Amino acid sequence: MFLHNFIYALKILCKNKVLIFWTFAFPIILGTLFNLAFSNISNSEKLDVIDIAVAGENINSNFKESIDILSNKDNSDKLFNTKYVTLNEAKKLLDDEKIVGYIYNEKIVVKKSGIEQTIFKYVVDEINSKINMSSSIFQAEISKEIENGNYNINYELINKKVNDQLNTKVSLNDTSNKNLDYVMIEFYTLIAMACLYGSLLSMTCLNNIMPNMSNEGKRLSISKTKKVSLILSNLCASYLVQLVGLLILFTYTIFALHVNYGSNLIYIILLSLAGSLAGLSLGVVVSIKFKVGENAKIGILIGIVMFWCFLSGMMGITMKYIVDKNIPILNKINPANMITDGFYSLYYYDTLDRYLLNVISLIVFSLLLLVISILNLRRQKYDSI
Amino acid sequence: MTVFKAFLKILNRNKGIVIMYTVILLVFGVTNMSTNNSNNLFTASKPSVLIVNEDNGNISKNLVKYFNENSEIKKIANNEEARNDALFYQDVSYIIYIPKNYSSDFLSGKNITLDIKKTDTYNGAYAEMLLNRYLNVANIYQKSVSDENELINKINETLKKEVKVEVTSKLNTGELDKASFYYNFMSYSMLACLIYVICLILQVFNQDKISKRNIISSTNYKKSNRILLLSNFLYSFVLWLFYFIVSMFIVPEVIFSMHGVLYLINSFIFMITCITLSFLLGNLIRNKNAISGVVNVVALGSSFLCGVFVPVNLLPSFVLSVAHIFPTFYYVEGNTLISSLEDFSFINLKPLFMNFIIMIIFCIVFIILTNIVSKKRQKIG
Repeated sequence: MFLHNFIYALKILCKNKVLIFWTFAFPIILGTLFNLAFSNISNSEKLDVIDIAVAGENINSNFKESIDILSNKDNSDKLFNTKYVTLNEAKKLLDDEKIVGYIYNEKIVVKKSGIEQTIFKYVVDEINSKINMSSSIFQAEISKEIENGNYNINYELINKKVNDQLNTKVSLNDTSNKNLDYVMIEFYTLIAMACLYGSLLSMTCLNNIMPNMSNEGKRLSISKTKKVSLILSNLCASYLVQLVGLLILFTYTIFALHVNYGSNLIYIILLSLAGSLAGLSLGVVVSIKFKVGENAKIGILIGIVMFWCFLSGMMGITMKYIVDKNIPILNKINPANMITDGFYSLYYYDTLDRYLLNVISLIVFSLLLLVISILNLRRQKYDSI
Repeated sequence: MTVFKAFLKILNRNKGIVIMYTVILLVFGVTNMSTNNSNNLFTASKPSVLIVNEDNGNISKNLVKYFNENSEIKKIANNEEARNDALFYQDVSYIIYIPKNYSSDFLSGKNITLDIKKTDTYNGAYAEMLLNRYLNVANIYQKSVSDENELINKINETLKKEVKVEVTSKLNTGELDKASFYYNFMSYSMLACLIYVICLILQVFNQDKISKRNIISSTNYKKSNRILLLSNFLYSFVLWLFYFIVSMFIVPEVIFSMHGVLYLINSFIFMITCITLSFLLGNLIRNKNAISGVVNVVALGSSFLCGVFVPVNLLPSFVLSVAHIFPTFYYVEGNTLISSLEDFSFINLKPLFMNFIIMIIFCIVFIILTNIVSKKRQKIG
């Protein structure tokens, strides 16, 4: 009997086109849009070559030399694309936004303030102070030689000494994690949304068998089929459909959109199973607790899920961080964030404790909702429907 | 009047959707704005930096002071996980760890390697430049100056010298960017609200039974169609007016200027395009349940691809070439053009007018397509 009901529940779910659109197609469409819109963000935030111009004739040779080094194609730290032009040409280039700014008569001219302009100014400051420092060190070295009674000064040697001093590299040790692409969070919230949209499936299934929701439900509840078997078969069917949907979404995001979920497949599967379970139990509890029509239930579910996704960063990644930082409890009880945060900790952290905490929270959340539902579902009687 | 009343009744039942999209516009349009209020003075960008200082000496204090002047120092909870999170979400773009006894080790001439963490962004790179510069200068003077106070003075003196910067643009770019962001975002809310409501209305009136009843009624069907069209237009107009009034409160300086007038015209033309597009979709969709799907795909899709949610300059070029098929693209481009206008001569306004014309052409195409579709539908009936 279980199998019989299970197969029918599957058929009913798969034939519901609107439901399949929202649980299967919509996350894929949204993921594609995310990918198209966000694929360039991380790249465009990276430090790029800045277009500048040097205007006028009287250019300090030391200054020009330094700028040339930074504009050299073969230099791995190339920072500038430099044009040497007349003042009028520079003005025109700036007006057409072909350059970020130009330097003329030891003054920088830019169109507006911004990070590229700040870097331009910073580098000019740096070059100027280096020129100043080199001359003062040079003087100091020469007077040192003279003090020592050495009048036969080897200028080249001193020059080399000064340059060595100026160009000693500061040693910094970068200990940051290399997985710093925060756009990934968008895709994690997408998976969270897909998991929780599974609630629509379980709700539809339960509506079909609840006597107060549909005629089929009335007929089923007076049949001799055991309630437990009926409900379980339906929920299993919705869980299966949900997992198939997730599988498609994962395949698509991994192979077509190149989303990085961390390297360990088992952990990803475990998190998805727990997340889907949370979605399923959400659908069950809404279906049982709220005595309203089917459309209203759909509205409630979509509303709740979208609000949770909003808090976990779907509509703006900063939102997740703001909530995590300031009102952590709000995200600790938010299943969409548990899923998102679970993937985030797999992606960003090497240790597993944060990930496991999220998985356990999801399971606790699901069990809690299921217990509430079971308590409400037991021994239901209808005087009249 | 009967038709109009029916229209209002349907609208009233679905006001939730209209309110929802409007609230989204208000939330994002108002909160997501940069407060960067730049005028004619150059303001250097300040990267956000976190310094974990375990040292008590004056040298490290001076380093912190230097970063205080040139960057924004963030305070983050004192544990590594909070710091890592802050770095990931770019709350800070650079973290510097200063070890114990740094100052005394530095004074004694030891070569110390500092641990850092950084994001791969302009801000991260700039923060590193600042750190490099400071350490370079400090290293150089450390070799010749032994007194701590004199050393600090020398360092600060060298770092203080700055080149003069002149800003040419006289525009209030901060306010104009705000206005552009709001108006761009408005296209999403407007598109969603108009498609949803107009499609729904058409759906209701096009139902087999209802349309048959309407055709045999004494009211001329042409008249009832005209009223329906007018009601839809009125609804759209009121919505547009409301969004415009909201913008008066958000960016008053921009709205009460020539820029504001142009924003107004641009959004009005876009509204007309939305109405015609909604009519086309309303005639194409047969199933009432499909409306919300179509709304989401069309509104979200065009907004994502045309630079409403993500600024156009951050979009990959192939996305932008696809985006040309949406009217939203020309609307957003229009807003960008408006925000960079400094004088309103015809040559400067020409590209903007071109965008207006393209949107109007879209309108005409949508109207023609709607007629073709509804003609076909009639034959089937």
